[in-house]
Amino acid sequence: MSQASTPVARTVLVVEDEPLLRLVLSDLLRARGITVVEAASAGEALDLLAAGVEADLIFTDVRMPGPIDGLELSRRVRATCPDLPVVVTSGHLESSLVDPGVAFLRKPYLPADAVSAILAIMERR
Amino acid sequence: MATDAPDEKQRPCVVLLDGDVVARHVLAEYLRECGYQVVEAATSEELIAVLEYGTPAVDTVLFDLEAPGAPRGFALRNHLRDTYPHIDIIPAGSTAVAAREAEDLCEEGPQLQRPYHSQLVLARIRRMKGRAGLKGAEVKRTTETAAYFSA
Repeated sequence: MSQASTPVARTVLVVEDEPLLRLVLSDLLRARGITVVEAASAGEALDLLAAGVEADLIFTDVRMPGPIDGLELSRRVRATCPDLPVVVTSGHLESSLVDPGVAFLRKPYLPADAVSAILAIMERR
Repeated sequence: MATDAPDEKQRPCVVLLDGDVVARHVLAEYLRECGYQVVEAATSEELIAVLEYGTPAVDTVLFDLEAPGAPRGFALRNHLRDTYPHIDIIPAGSTAVAAREAEDLCEEGPQLQRPYHSQLVLARIRRMKGRAGLKGAEVKRTTETAAYFSA
C-alpha cells in the first residue's frame, strides 16, 4: 500500500495490555500518518472515549486486565456509535463469537498485517 | 494532536509513565507536539519492559511517583538510575509537576519551544476528566482508573 494512499487526520485507538505489541503497532500506524491514542485496558479506552477522544477506528485485544474485556468494549462502543469500526483481536476466541459488524484478527498476527487491515477498513469509509 | 513524521526514529524518545490515562494522553500529546517520540506506559512493569526491549532508544523517562506497579515511587527512580544511568529520569509527584517538567522538556527539545503553556495542559486534563465524569477536579488519579490496574 503506498504512502500516498494513507488516510490523513485519522485517529486509531489501540487497546492492548501488552506494552511491546502496543508500542510496535502504534509506531507503525504513526509512521503511516495515523494519529494513535493508546490504552492499556478496556477501562482506559472507555475513560478516553468518555473524556472526548474521537477515534475513527478502535483496535482492541480481548483479554486484558480489569473488569471489562475487549468484547464488552466493542459492544459498548457499538451500542453508542454503531458506525464506528472496531477490530477485535484474540488468540483464544473464535471469530463466530465476535458481534456482527466487528472485524476480527486472530493472534498471533504480524504487526504489518494489522496495519494493513486497519488502513483497509479506514479507506473503505 | 500531532502525528509522527518520517524522521520519527531520529527524534528524542520520552517514555511517559502515568496510571491516569487522561493525564497520560494529554501529556503525551503535548510532548509529541514538541517533537518528541513518546512511548506511553501505564505501569512500572510496562515502563521496564519498554526499557529492556531497547527499541526505541530512550533518552528520558518522565514518571508519576504514584503510578501503579512494582517497583514504584522512589524505589522505581532508584532502580532506573542504577540500571539506566544514561537515561534522564524525571519523577513527578503530581500532574501539575509532570506538566511543568514536560514544558521544560519542550524548551530543551527538538523544536526548542513549547507549543503552549503547561497551564493549558492542566486545564485540558481537568476539562476532559470533568467531561468523562471522573473524579478529576483536583487532577488526582481516580479510584476507577486505579481499580482497572489492581483487578
